[in-house]
Amino acid sequence: MKTKFSGILALLLVLVVQLSFAQQKTITGTVNDDSGLPLPGANVIIKGSNTGTQTDFDGNYSISAATGQTLMFSYVGFDTQEIAVGASSSINVNMAAGNSLQEVVIIGNVNSTKEKSSSATFTLSAETIEARPNASFVQTLSGQVPGLNISTASGQPGANSTVRIRGVSSINGDTEPLFIIDGAPVDQDNFRSLNPNEIASVSVLKDAGATAIYGNRGANGVIIIKTKSGKFNSKLKMTYTGTVNVASLQSNDYNLMDSQELLTLEKERNSGLGATLTDEEIAGYDTFDWADYFFDPAITTSHTLNVSNGGDNIASFLSLGFHDQEGLLKQSSLKRFNIRANVNGNSENDKFSYKLNLSTNFSRSDEPNSIGSGAINRNYVLGAYQSVPYLSDADYTNGEALLSPLSFVNTPLFLIDRLNTYTRYEEELKMIGSLQGSYKLTDNLTASAILSSDYQDQNLVRAEGPTSFNALLFAESGNDTPGFQQQQYTRQFAFNQLTSLVWNKEFDKQSLNVGLYSEYFKAHFYTYGFFNEGLNASTFFPGDGSAFVDDNADNDFFVDPVNANIAESGLFSYFTRVDYDYDTKYGVTGTFRRDASSRFAESNKWGNFYSIAARWNISNEAFMENSIFDVLKLRASYGTAGNQDVTGGGLFGGLNLTQSLFATTGGYQGANSLQLSQIPNTDLKWETVTSTNVGIDFELANRRVRGSLDGYQKVTTDLFLNQPISSINATTVLNVNGGEMQNTGVDLALAYDFIRSTNEGGFNATVNFVGNYNKNEIIEFGSGEEEIIGTGRVGGKIFEYFDYRYAGVNPENGNQQFLDVDGNITEDPNPDTDRVWLDQSIIPDFEGSAGLNFDYNGFFLSTQFNYTIGVDRYDFEQASFQDIDNLGQFRLSRDLFDSWTPENTGAEFPSLDATNLQFSGTRYLTNADFVRLRFAQFGYNLPSKYLQGTSLSALRMYLNGENLVTFSDWRGFDVEAQSNTSRLYPTARTFAFGIEIEF
Amino acid sequence: MKKLKYIAVFALASIGFTSCNDAIEITQVGILNSDAAFQTVADLELGLLGAYNDFDHTMQIQFNSVFTDEISVGADSGGQGTSDGTTAFVLNAGSAYPSALWQNYNSALNSVNRVIAGSEGVEIAAGEQGQFDNILGQAYALRAFAHFELLSYLSTDYTDDSALATILLDFVPGTDQQLPRNTNGEIYASITGDLALANSLLSNQSDAVFASRDFVKALRARMAAYRQDYPTANTLASELLGAYGLANQTQYTDMYLDTDNTEIIFKLSRTIGDSYDGQGSTGSAFAGGWAGANYAFVNSTINGSPYFEMGRAVFNKLNPADVRYSVNVEPSSLIDPNYQTSANPLATDILVIGKYPGKNGQNLMNDLKIFKSSEMLLIAAEARASMNDLGGAAALIDQLRDARFGSDQTAPSFATVQEALGAVMDERRKEFLFEGHRYKDLKRLGARAGRGIDRDPIDCNALNACDLPLSSNLFTVPIPIVELDANDNIQQNPGY
Repeated sequence: MKTKFSGILALLLVLVVQLSFAQQKTITGTVNDDSGLPLPGANVIIKGSNTGTQTDFDGNYSISAATGQTLMFSYVGFDTQEIAVGASSSINVNMAAGNSLQEVVIIGNVNSTKEKSSSATFTLSAETIEARPNASFVQTLSGQVPGLNISTASGQPGANSTVRIRGVSSINGDTEPLFIIDGAPVDQDNFRSLNPNEIASVSVLKDAGATAIYGNRGANGVIIIKTKSGKFNSKLKMTYTGTVNVASLQSNDYNLMDSQELLTLEKERNSGLGATLTDEEIAGYDTFDWADYFFDPAITTSHTLNVSNGGDNIASFLSLGFHDQEGLLKQSSLKRFNIRANVNGNSENDKFSYKLNLSTNFSRSDEPNSIGSGAINRNYVLGAYQSVPYLSDADYTNGEALLSPLSFVNTPLFLIDRLNTYTRYEEELKMIGSLQGSYKLTDNLTASAILSSDYQDQNLVRAEGPTSFNALLFAESGNDTPGFQQQQYTRQFAFNQLTSLVWNKEFDKQSLNVGLYSEYFKAHFYTYGFFNEGLNASTFFPGDGSAFVDDNADNDFFVDPVNANIAESGLFSYFTRVDYDYDTKYGVTGTFRRDASSRFAESNKWGNFYSIAARWNISNEAFMENSIFDVLKLRASYGTAGNQDVTGGGLFGGLNLTQSLFATTGGYQGANSLQLSQIPNTDLKWETVTSTNVGIDFELANRRVRGSLDGYQKVTTDLFLNQPISSINATTVLNVNGGEMQNTGVDLALAYDFIRSTNEGGFNATVNFVGNYNKNEIIEFGSGEEEIIGTGRVGGKIFEYFDYRYAGVNPENGNQQFLDVDGNITEDPNPDTDRVWLDQSIIPDFEGSAGLNFDYNGFFLSTQFNYTIGVDRYDFEQASFQDIDNLGQFRLSRDLFDSWTPENTGAEFPSLDATNLQFSGTRYLTNADFVRLRFAQFGYNLPSKYLQGTSLSALRMYLNGENLVTFSDWRGFDVEAQSNTSRLYPTARTFAFGIEIEF
Repeated sequence: MKKLKYIAVFALASIGFTSCNDAIEITQVGILNSDAAFQTVADLELGLLGAYNDFDHTMQIQFNSVFTDEISVGADSGGQGTSDGTTAFVLNAGSAYPSALWQNYNSALNSVNRVIAGSEGVEIAAGEQGQFDNILGQAYALRAFAHFELLSYLSTDYTDDSALATILLDFVPGTDQQLPRNTNGEIYASITGDLALANSLLSNQSDAVFASRDFVKALRARMAAYRQDYPTANTLASELLGAYGLANQTQYTDMYLDTDNTEIIFKLSRTIGDSYDGQGSTGSAFAGGWAGANYAFVNSTINGSPYFEMGRAVFNKLNPADVRYSVNVEPSSLIDPNYQTSANPLATDILVIGKYPGKNGQNLMNDLKIFKSSEMLLIAAEARASMNDLGGAAALIDQLRDARFGSDQTAPSFATVQEALGAVMDERRKEFLFEGHRYKDLKRLGARAGRGIDRDPIDCNALNACDLPLSSNLFTVPIPIVELDANDNIQQNPGY
């Protein structure tokens, strides 16, 4: 319809331009997308000049150009095309969908255009992932997708993040989405070895319509990662990307005492070093910054070289990457090396096509453990925050000297010793490969297969040197060669095979697509290791066994425990999918599948799941012809998906839960013995998530406003949960299916080009917003309980806090006050019976981001502010800084200067001598909502005219930063960690410089 | 050629449709189904060794020390015992000890019952009957012990047969069972039955680290004393005292280095590399590691980071000439005679607990003493005193003191039953210091002996509390939250 109309417009334009001078001729034409629909707003530029225009509403353009000049046609999401101006004054262009797949929706091995998709899917292109200083691309996704929650509780380079799509949909089971890279399902917790610069796009599949293809592991949504690929008939292109960044510690607001304040307080209260000093001596102490000692500004360098080219029937993409990242915390780092080869090709007759994606990645990650613990001799973060400032690194000599007197106050010195004598690193070889092939049996019938594997090979080495403080401290008496070295080798291999037979037929305006699929998945786990006791200091080197001390007849100090384990798990599914479209106006897609899991081999192996999704492309209706909407589409889906990861332990967690088992264990006096190891639940079955989604996609005012709005409800039934059982069973909980939980919410993504220039290099400005509201409600627990402490109550949200309430300081006596269960003030709460449900939890209610992007004449500036609302966390760090019992041993906060005294009865904090300081209740439960400038970037794309005559075809430079500014009531180092563990490794603030050169 | 491709693709497509069982019918390797666990007498022996390993005593040691008057806050305290309020007599259904005791001893009962039930399917080869009987005998003895241990903390009144005790667990339970507590009378009857069976099946008269007929007798004696069946208690305890006698000072010292068993009727042995070889949960009644890790992080000297020290009040009761002084007070202790006026007693008066110096070179790891002949002596003394044989009680106490001081001491004489029982309590306090008896002794004997919680005022300050009246409901441990959450029929103790 539009095509007819645009013909008339073109005629008018032709009339207008006839008055032009002849030397420059006017070229006119239409720019269409790959399905023949006109593209409004596409850029048309004369190569090597500043002259350009944009296509109008109907995809038409008109530009003056001389014969021999080249026109460049570009549009977001499509490959740029270059066409030389020849004799004809009319150039019509069909743009091909390009690397960045914003306009293509990927569902399984079925790619449909966005127009023909009925599902809630959100796709990010490479630009939003590259150039970010995170070793794991998952962290980069934070805030960019509505309904996608990314929480990273560690600043360790490449640390795993917790990923959730649209709330927590299981209590005990897995809550993270399935990750698929180029058709290969991969380990959802391990991305440190992968190079983000290889990624072309990331699609987040959220509703039942989208995830149906992945039913057996897609109940929590699916994240599809596509890596870059070469294009047919393209010249050799090389792209180098290099970045350097500097990370530093985010600030805290604990207001810690300096040496003089701390020593004076110690003196006043007759405790610690201060008690033995005169005022003059106290004045002579420096304040040593232990946070600065244990956390160092850290440098990261990263290089990626991508090479692509293609012939008539074959195209390739090769990538080589090296990444060297220092961690902010001493002794943490990540080094990584990546090679990727992606090759795709067709047979001459286009009947057969194949695609090979292969990547080999090796990383070494130095990763201190005991982070988050209260071990003063092991947790560096504890040392960084809590050490007394009147000691300094100069006080350290060696481990032996710290043995006597042994005192908590020497915490930082124990940790310096550990830095010097302890080693822990993991080496990892990760290979992901997938081979896809499809063959057109007839014009309508295609057979395809995707074979893929995820191979992981890890070697952990950890050693505590023989002269270290910790080795000496815990040495048996008479043991002159203490210390240990542990090594653990783990191999994990997962194989997946998806085979399909698809029949496709178009009848006039209708098209029908029917597919039969089967999927086979099997994962193998293999590990062994040893724990060597006893190291000879003269020959010790971490990772090497020269120093190992053998067992002897005199004692059992050097008996070395060994271990080995094999496990397997598997899934099998078959399913069918039917897709019907009428004139790109109406479409309906249905899926039905049967899934089996090895976890339920002895109980309820098979589960049946289905989904149905429909759409109405309103903007394609005749009555919408003159409306402001370029795109208006209504979608709805309803369906079920299964979860079989009962314990949330990944591929190899909870494999035997349906069986009653005994195990060989170390018994009395270390003797071999047989003991019950598992009480079975013979009724275990699939957990089911039923989701309903209604959404609308829109683009209006010449695509200046774009967005989507989705409402959803996800109901999880047969929830995996820990059912309390009587202790007479030798355990207190049983993994059962029971209960029901619901997540209801809204996703919104919105972008508005509030300034859009019509000429090349002009000023463009876009504001965007991403938001999610999610409400979680526990509908019932299977066993009929009203509440399970730690999990929540019926009618409340998951992980709702249950505690007794702090009610400030009693102005009369300086004691803490609390509310009892009835809301009356008490100084003596019963920590058991005075607890109430608080309607607060660690899971956010609202979250997302907002940002502004500008570009002008090659310069670009973009910002991303993330926000999270509705998170409450216990600030145990603050508790320790305010705990007067720590005086003499650890650092305290100046908050204590506002403690209650008879003269300061209005104080914020209780008396240092309050008689009920053992209680805390909700005193440290703190709002952790925040707004953070998560990312800002300023850069410059060198206009191509400056590159003419050089061998370069593009040059881009940028400066960016992450976690630059945070607004929050939270006082700690990192508000973003959704964890109640204190003394964690905080994520960093980083500044990066990057350059991209294309040859 | 074209056909070949056709076939190849089809073959590939069909693989997935045919080979599904390989992925979903997986039996993990290295597993042993319960039904197949016990087939031979040797299997049953392994089951028994597993069951023994469920028995721990570190939680009792920790709780009795911290919740009564055996310890004070140490110089290296990181909030252990004080931050959760245990030292200040905070005890409720959510506390660590009720949970640790309940789970641990019910697990042990479960294991023992599986051995007993499993014995039915075992094929006994020729010459194995004796070994088989001995295994079963130990299992019955351990079941009796576990029931008594639970009863002794959960029952409000040991002498009242109608008071509630614990769940009688003499079978392998099912996961859907929610059982109410049985009465003392029912539990006592079960224990009596189990012990009779055990006595008839056991081969050994005595054995320091495995249940023997003497173990059975010692448990009967202790149970009789708790029930105030004093004639029985006196008879059984006196027999065992006669059989074992008392250690001299050297033997006594060696007993705590685990190199002498003169007085040992039964102890839980601990070795390097066993599942208790580690720190366990320091500062918590979950304990579960080295016994000495209940008091110090590293070793039993002043440089071993003692987070709990000996309570000043009990220290003041120990005479340096008494071998119990040198066993309990570590020589590296800093003793400040003027601790009461010290500006900072935490720094000047450091009384390091020396009872668990370690074994086989492993610091803090020691065997856990369960039944000693000195307990039999004190049970007999308590029985005689209660039966108004004050002279008999005095003679036994004198016998004990002579042995501990290594020289003849002035014989005591008692004018009243209370005075005699008071002396018994005082000796029990020293004899079983840091061994897990104090709480139950205060509960059952405190009022009759005129003794209560005895903390030094200086310690009271650090521990955040001074006294707990003997009438308090807190002298009976509550049913823990884990059971209340799971079992609708369980009855909570009064006051919780």
